[in-house]
Parts: sequence; structure tokens; C-alpha cells
Amino acid sequence: MSMPELVRVTIDEKDVHVAKGTGLVETALSAGIEIPVFCYEPRLGAPIGACRMCLVEIEGMPKLQAGCTLTAQDGMVVRTARTSSKAAEGQNATLEFILVNHPLDCPVCDKGGECPLQDLTFRYGPGKTRMNFEKTTFEKPIPISPAISLDRERCILCYRCTRFSEAVSEDGQLVARNRGAMSVITTFEDEPYSGPFTGNVTELCPVGALLPTQYRFEARPWEIVDVPTVCGMCPVGCNTHATVREGKVKRVISRNHPEIDEGWLCDKGRFAFTHLRAADRVVEPIHRVRRRGFEPVSWPEALDVAESLLKAADGRAVVALSGSETVEEAYALAKLMRQGLGSHHAVLPEEVSAGLDAYRLPLSAIGDAQTVVVLGDVPLNESAPIVDLWVRAARRKGATIVQTADDPAVSSTERVVLIWSGPGGRGGARVGELAERLGLAGKDGCGAFYIPATPNGRGVADAWAACSDEEPAREPDSIGLLVVSGDEAAGNPNVRALAERAEAVIVISMFHGLAAGWADLVLPGTSYLERDGTYVNLEGRLQRLRQTATPPGPTELEWISQLAARFHVEIPPYASAVFAELSKRCYGGLSFGEVGERAPLRGYVEAPVHVEVPPVPEPAEEPPSGTGLHLVAYKPLFSGPAVERVPELQFQRPQAEIELSPDDARTRGIANGDRVVVSAGGVSVELRARVSKDLRAGVARVALEHSGGLLGNVEVAPAGAGVTA
Amino acid sequence: MSLVTEIQEIAAQYPQSRSAIMPALHLAQKKYGWLPREAFEEVGEALGLTPAYCMSVASFYDMYHLEPVGTHIVEVCTNISCALVGAQATLEAFERELGIRPGETTADGEVTLRTVECYGGCGWGPVVAVDQRYHEPVKPEDVPRLVQDLRNA
Ligand code: SF4
Ligand code: SF4
Ligand code: FES
Ligand code: FES
Repeated sequence: MSMPELVRVTIDEKDVHVAKGTGLVETALSAGIEIPVFCYEPRLGAPIGACRMCLVEIEGMPKLQAGCTLTAQDGMVVRTARTSSKAAEGQNATLEFILVNHPLDCPVCDKGGECPLQDLTFRYGPGKTRMNFEKTTFEKPIPISPAISLDRERCILCYRCTRFSEAVSEDGQLVARNRGAMSVITTFEDEPYSGPFTGNVTELCPVGALLPTQYRFEARPWEIVDVPTVCGMCPVGCNTHATVREGKVKRVISRNHPEIDEGWLCDKGRFAFTHLRAADRVVEPIHRVRRRGFEPVSWPEALDVAESLLKAADGRAVVALSGSETVEEAYALAKLMRQGLGSHHAVLPEEVSAGLDAYRLPLSAIGDAQTVVVLGDVPLNESAPIVDLWVRAARRKGATIVQTADDPAVSSTERVVLIWSGPGGRGGARVGELAERLGLAGKDGCGAFYIPATPNGRGVADAWAACSDEEPAREPDSIGLLVVSGDEAAGNPNVRALAERAEAVIVISMFHGLAAGWADLVLPGTSYLERDGTYVNLEGRLQRLRQTATPPGPTELEWISQLAARFHVEIPPYASAVFAELSKRCYGGLSFGEVGERAPLRGYVEAPVHVEVPPVPEPAEEPPSGTGLHLVAYKPLFSGPAVERVPELQFQRPQAEIELSPDDARTRGIANGDRVVVSAGGVSVELRARVSKDLRAGVARVALEHSGGLLGNVEVAPAGAGVTA
Repeated sequence: MSLVTEIQEIAAQYPQSRSAIMPALHLAQKKYGWLPREAFEEVGEALGLTPAYCMSVASFYDMYHLEPVGTHIVEVCTNISCALVGAQATLEAFERELGIRPGETTADGEVTLRTVECYGGCGWGPVVAVDQRYHEPVKPEDVPRLVQDLRNA
């Protein structure tokens, strides 16, 4: 790339040199000068100059200018409110105008204390009001969804929220109704604002108009601590702050990592944290006693039981992992089992391959790509939502999005990114092979991504492999003990089937709903918000998790450490110390402190030991045959043990519908909204049809929970006569 | 021809189909008399826009009705130039004559009375539009005759 042309701009008598075309707000910032803004937000696209908060005086221009709409030009002389009384008066008047109908109910507003309107009024606004008439009032707050409350009186009509909806998430649901002073923010009729990304508007809103309902009246800014951590709900690993008050998480907000999330979060990562306080949370160990059923036991008793179960298994133990354990927890569990008990068997949550490591890129590279190839038919916004936002950003910037690597765009453009989002990817190996075949290795801006099923599958596999070089002998003929680590494993039907064959079962789970009934010993699990440690995300980026909330009991690492001591295996109860031990083996000796608050993409120093353990099998992709369609049943974003326990997310659960390509719908005489019957091998389910333009012909798509167990080749036909749309 | 197809035909004449939203909304309003929920759903479907977006555009303009209206519409400009020459008195005359307030429709569903912003006839205020036809200037004493004409129409 050529060097950008530098220009000299004078701001408040200070000279700065910036690249030509840099926004004036950023230019001023580089001189340490603030141009205050409300509506300006570069992540939302081109500036719209709606609020006039950013007024500045520009030499040679007769009137004050909206600074946010200008870019740096050579020789520009700019005066902000600090040196121009005209600009100061302009900003003062702007604020007086914005406040004409603003209720100024800061004492009862959740935004109070962290509100840009409050801050800027304090710094630039009038100290007194001249408005002595009644202000416009509205019904308030209006639930624009079960998760978000809208207070129209506080809205300053900056249009950040509607621009997000139109130009970032591209859902077009949040709009302004009416005109001028009568404008209000609204959705269509009484429809709730829904989709994977709605919660972002609560952070974009510069006033207390759009607020998360869960946080309503929960805390004041001086009572809280924002703890930096990462989201553990999907393999993206968005950087977050958990807002904590008195040991409890009160909300989750973004912590912009420009390479991963650009400051956006999905609603699952943002709103699902209340699963920490689920009514069926397991808070103490539970032991099955013959004839007496299940009874709670103390931690020392529980560890006695665990010890005897492990001893009785005599090396015939199998560990089923979830992929949501921290690297350290997985390592501790592996060390106990493998070094302490000689038990080398694990059921990993998914296949993991090092075949992609040569094609690693930051997620932001998708946004800069010229061609994005999305392979597989699992919608990205269901499996790794932020990746979907990057693909949308790429398309807006002119990239071609295609569904096959044979597309001519792939060979005719320079920056090509592959994304594998579907079953049968062999942990990334197949997309790695494809990248190699296309010659993407070492090419600038080219690379490949694989969307794993679990948030830390790679880290868990690394940890398990790092613990011992010994390969497991063949699977034990009989399973003496099955240790089920975590809720995803506990909810996995294949793991349940293994439990049938096991002589004893220990389940580590957060929820009674998942643990009850089948375990000899239940040990309370913790959430990613309650642990210290590291995760490896889908880019292969090692990131730091922090304990944000106090768990109801010891964390996994703490009690595994104690249990291991009984088998003369030394495991420190601190993530930092465990990391120090395992880092030598898989992360090139990186220290815990170096992992970093905003972790860089380091890539793997040396390929970790490949793990030869059978993962839970993935359904193979079969080509559709005959008149049938290939049914892809995907795990929806809004599903799983945590989401099921969050009332504010229930309206986001997937509908009982099947997506069809326009071609397949037409040939079958099916219109959008029609009832259809989906069948294979004598099993059938009735669903509503949705015609999706972005679906390939020959493929049908359904949320797993509505698939009726169907998969692969299915017939789709209109439901019986008499049923109309 | 269905509304959706009709709109798509118009949209084909624009480089970007979304630019056809204004005529599309007019067509929908012709079909329903005003713009109910279904109108926005159909316009949205035809142009590949969300119903929310279509509603947002329609709500910006005075000539689209988001509520049911009467057979005839009387619109009185109350913006500044007309206000200075007595628009308020004209409006009140209509209120008396029709027995309704601005924004309301007579019980028989015949006439809707509304106030609007500048009609661009500022030099001849107060400006009143009856079923989109301008009358200027309209003094309070002209109102009974106008209403009578309307009722006889
Ligand atoms: S609701 Fe908030 S973000 Fe949306 S326009 Fe109003 S002030 Fe701006
Ligand atoms: S996209 Fe994934 S990592 Fe990011 S907030 Fe959502 S669930 Fe969490
Ligand atoms: S910040 Fe410049 S106009 Fe709003
Ligand atoms: S003010 Fe009434 S027409 Fe302009």
C-alpha cells in the first residue's frame, strides 16, 4: 500500500499532521482536543450530522460547521469551543435546544452517571433553562422487546439506533416514525425488536432512552466495577466487561476488540448472564445413596465419594468434555485422570485440527476481503453471530459473497477469505485443505475460518493433549466411571448413551435440570463468568477470562486441585499457576500476564500434539438425491441451557419453521408462510415454510429443536388440502 | 393484478427498486383508502424493504394516512404565514361547521379535518386544501359554503 498523503491541520492553534481524509473528530483527538459528539459514530457508516453537538469554527467558512461531517484538509484552521466563543455559543445553544423536551430525570435514569448527554451538558451546556412550559410527555418506558426498554422522552433523535438497525445488523426493524419534533423511535406495529444483535442499541444510545430491561434500577455507576473478560457463549469470544455489583453480574457490555468484535455483541452474550441465578442452579454437591435417593452432601464428603469412585474405576474412567471448560480446568482434569489414574480416555466435544493454523487471520480481515466464500449451510448468525456482521460489513464495502470456492470471483480477486460453517468440516481440516488448494498460504489478506461448535473446543483439546504423551489403549471394554464435565456434555445424547454403559457417573453441572437423575455424584459447575483462566477462540486466539461473579461454591479448578492431591498429583488451585505449567507445552511458554487484556492473534508457536480421541461424531454431509432436499438441522443461537433459563430471551427462540430456497419452494408449490410436511423414513413433522433467498437450491434448513430428529435427505410437501397460508 | 406485482412493475423503471417507495405507497393507499399494516407488508415485500421502513417513510409525509380517513379530507394550513392572516379562525370555523376537532372524522365517515404545515401558497393564506384541491384565501365566512359543496359532492 502507498503511504497516505499527510496534511497539516491547525486546531486551537495546535498543529497536527494526519492522513488526508481523517475525520475532524479524530484529527482533533490526535491533538488531545475534544470535539463533543452525540450522533457521530464511525462504526455506523458515513456521518449524518443530525445533532449539531460538534459545531466548530473553520477559518474561511462564514458559519459554524458540524465538525463530524468534515475531514482533514491541508491548511485547515479549526477552532473548537476552547478557543472560539462562537463555537462555544453554538454548542451551548445546541444543548439548550436538545434539552427543550428532555425530562432531565437523571436521578431515576439508569444512564445517570455514565451518560454522554449529562457529561456534555455539564461541560458545554447552559447551567439554567429558559424553558418554563410543559415538556412533551410520552408513555414510558415502552418495552420495544422483552429485553429493551424505550423512554421516548429522553430520546434526543440522534438516529444511532436506527442506523445500527439499517446499516450494521441490517435488520431494518428499528425506525423513526413521524417528522421533526414529533419523531419517535419505534418498531413496526407491536412487533418486538428481535434478532441476534438488538442489544447493541442500548450501548449506542447516548442517553437513557434505550436501556437493557434487566439492568433497570439495578445499580448506579459509582457502585459498580466493570470487569474485563471475554464471552464464553460461542467460539467468537467477544471481549466484554461484566458489570459487577456486590459480587453479582448485573449486565454484560462490550469491550471493543477491533480485530474480533468491533464493540458489538450478540444478545446471547449480552443478556444470557442471568443464567447464573437460575432457579435450578446446583449450589451444593449431591450424592445418590442407595434406597434413600439423592441427598446434598458437604464438599469434603463429596470429595470422599469422588475419590472412591475414581479408585473403583481403576483406570477405566472416561471423561466427557464440554468445550466450555477453561484451558486450565481441562488441563487439571486431564492431569488428574491421565497422570494420577492412568485413565487416558476422553470424549472431546468436537473434532479439532491444526490444519488451519497456517491460514489464521483476525476476524476483521473478513471485513477487508474482496471475496468471502461461505461454505456449509449453517447460518453464521446462529453459530458465530459476529462473523455474520463481518460478512455483512464486507458486502457493504463491495465484497462478493459466494457459496462455492469454484466461483470465478475467487480466482479474480486478491483478498479471499474462506469460512466453513456447517457440518462435516473435520475440525477445520477440510477448509484448510481447500485453502491450500487455492494457494492462499502467505497471501496478504487471505485466510480461512472454521466455525467450531463450542467456545473453547480447541483449548480443551490442547490441554488434554498437553498433559501426557501416552496414547489411550483401545476404548475400555467396560466403563468404570464416566465423568461428565459441564452442561453441554450433560445435555449431549451421545454422552447420555455412554452413561448407560458406565458403572458409575459423576456429573459436573450448573443446573439440576441437566444433572438430576443419572449421576451418582453431582458436583456444582460454574459459568465462564465465574472462572479465571483462558479460552482459545475460533481464530485460534488465546484470551483471558476473569472471575467476575462469586460462584456458589469452589470453582472446578479449586476442587480438582484438592481431589488430585489425594492421588498425589500436584495441581495448583490458581489458573495462573496451571497456565504457567501448560503454556510450556502448548503456548510457547507465554506467561499468564502476557495473554493480555486485548489479546493479539499469536498463532501457534508449535503445533500442539494431535489428539487421537474419538470426538462426538458429526453428521456427514450427503448430497441430496432424487426429489429430496438435504436438511440441515442447526443449533440455533438462542438455545442451550443458559438461554433456556433467561426469561428476556424466550421471544427470540426459533419458530417452528423450515427454510426453503426460492427454487425449491416454487417447484413444490409452496409459498412463504404455508404449512408443509417434512418427512423421511416414516417420520414426519409439520412446519411453516419460510422462503430464504440466501439458501442454496437443494438444501432445507431447520432449527435442531424443530427438526423432529430428521436429518439428511427429506421430502418436503405442502400440508394436506384445506390448509391455507 | 395484485398490488405487489403492480408495484414491482413500477420499481423496474428505477435503477434502485427502493426508490419506487413513494408511488408504491400511493398505490397502496389507493387500494386501502389509508395505510393499514397489510399495506406496509405488501409494499415491503414488493420492494425488498422491511414493513417498518415503509411505515417510517410514510409517516414522514402528510399525504399518507396512517389512520383511516373519511371520504373527503379538509386540510387547513396553520403554518406561520397562514397563521398570521387568520388560519386559526378558519380552522375553528371548520370545527364548528363539521362538529369535529382536527385529526377527527365526522360520525358519518364523510369528512376528515386536519391541520398541515406550509402548502407553499403563503402569499394567499389562509390556504385550505379540500380533497387535494387548493382554496386560497379561505376566510371563516367562506367555510359554510365549502362544507356545503363538499356534502353535496
Ligand atoms: S433512542 Fe437513543 S440512539 Fe435512538 S435516536 Fe433516540 S437518543 Fe438516539
Ligand atoms: S457472538 Fe459469541 S462470543 Fe460474541 S457475544 Fe455472542 S455468544 Fe458471546
Ligand atoms: S456529532 Fe456532529 S452532528 Fe451530531
Ligand atoms: S404557511 Fe400556509 S401555505 Fe405556507
